[in-house]
Amino acid sequence: MTRSKKKKGFEIFKLTNRLRQRLSPNHKDDPGFVDDKAIEKADKLIELLCERFSEDMGGDLSVLSEKWLEMRDMPNSPEREEKAQEVFTIAHEIKDISAQCGYSILAYFAENLRDYITHTDLSMEAQRVIIQACVDSITVVHKQGLKDDGGPLADELKAALKKAIEKFS
Amino acid sequence: MFFASKDEPQPYDLSNFSVLVVEDSHSMMELLSAMLKSFGVGEILVCNSAKEAQDLLTITQARVQSRHISGVDVVLTDWLMPGGSGLELINWVRAHNDEKIKFLPIIVISGYTSEKVIAMARDSGANEALVKPLSGKSLAQRITSVIEQPRAFLQTPNYFGPDRRRHETPIKFEDRRVIQPEEFTVHND
Repeated sequence: MTRSKKKKGFEIFKLTNRLRQRLSPNHKDDPGFVDDKAIEKADKLIELLCERFSEDMGGDLSVLSEKWLEMRDMPNSPEREEKAQEVFTIAHEIKDISAQCGYSILAYFAENLRDYITHTDLSMEAQRVIIQACVDSITVVHKQGLKDDGGPLADELKAALKKAIEKFS
Repeated sequence: MFFASKDEPQPYDLSNFSVLVVEDSHSMMELLSAMLKSFGVGEILVCNSAKEAQDLLTITQARVQSRHISGVDVVLTDWLMPGGSGLELINWVRAHNDEKIKFLPIIVISGYTSEKVIAMARDSGANEALVKPLSGKSLAQRITSVIEQPRAFLQTPNYFGPDRRRHETPIKFEDRRVIQPEEFTVHND
């Protein structure tokens, strides 16, 4: 790199466009684009993921509830932490895919569940109430098939969760 | 028969591209990899945490130097991940001594629509941000942007990363920037 001295601590790096060099010779200088057919194919993949998610959600929710029931009344122990990690993983996965598939209200409750399941500074009682509220809300949202922000029912569930969090955390 | 004019933009051939996807959600990782594959990306590397990505970039870069193979071209990273966030990965990349890692284009994927996260990603040195729900078009746009509109990197006492101003807008009023563009030391490679 060539350098020229100026004000200390303020530098500009003007770089060669390395990505362009990695394209085929046609694009070394000319602008290009991602092929529309490739974009359509990518959108189809998203559609398939969301269809599968919608079908599998019931199963995921059963596993989530089961794991939570197992850990809920356990005393603090490495086994409980292990269960918490399993619940965390399922909740995180539900959060990511529901956000991707337009179930933002589901993503909201899954995110809260994920965040509170590993909160070690919460009392057991507080965790029980907050996590139970999250699990119950996810179940209702799924059963009612609520999408996007979920409307008035989702607002009620959100308010109930907020109340539990304010009271216990 | 129809022949495209030489001046007409042509679809990219991304078969020489190597993209690193950093995503802890298995389904999202699979989706992103499949989407990139449908775009024709030649090599897709995957990691499920920032820490794993740092190790992979270090190893890949060592192989590049010793065997003259090409390294990672673009990093696509989730923002919030257990075991090291996207923010930690960006900080590590931008503070790296190796210029092939330091200047890597980084596209952040966030599940949060909050402007705060987008601003944090930008201020930590990400090139682009992508908010879920993703679409084929939005991913293609970010990839096109890092190819077609690469920005110069700036080093200031508080920031290192791509120039956060995307356009040179003429200033109609008094220029209040403490440091004028001509006062920067310029490095050309």
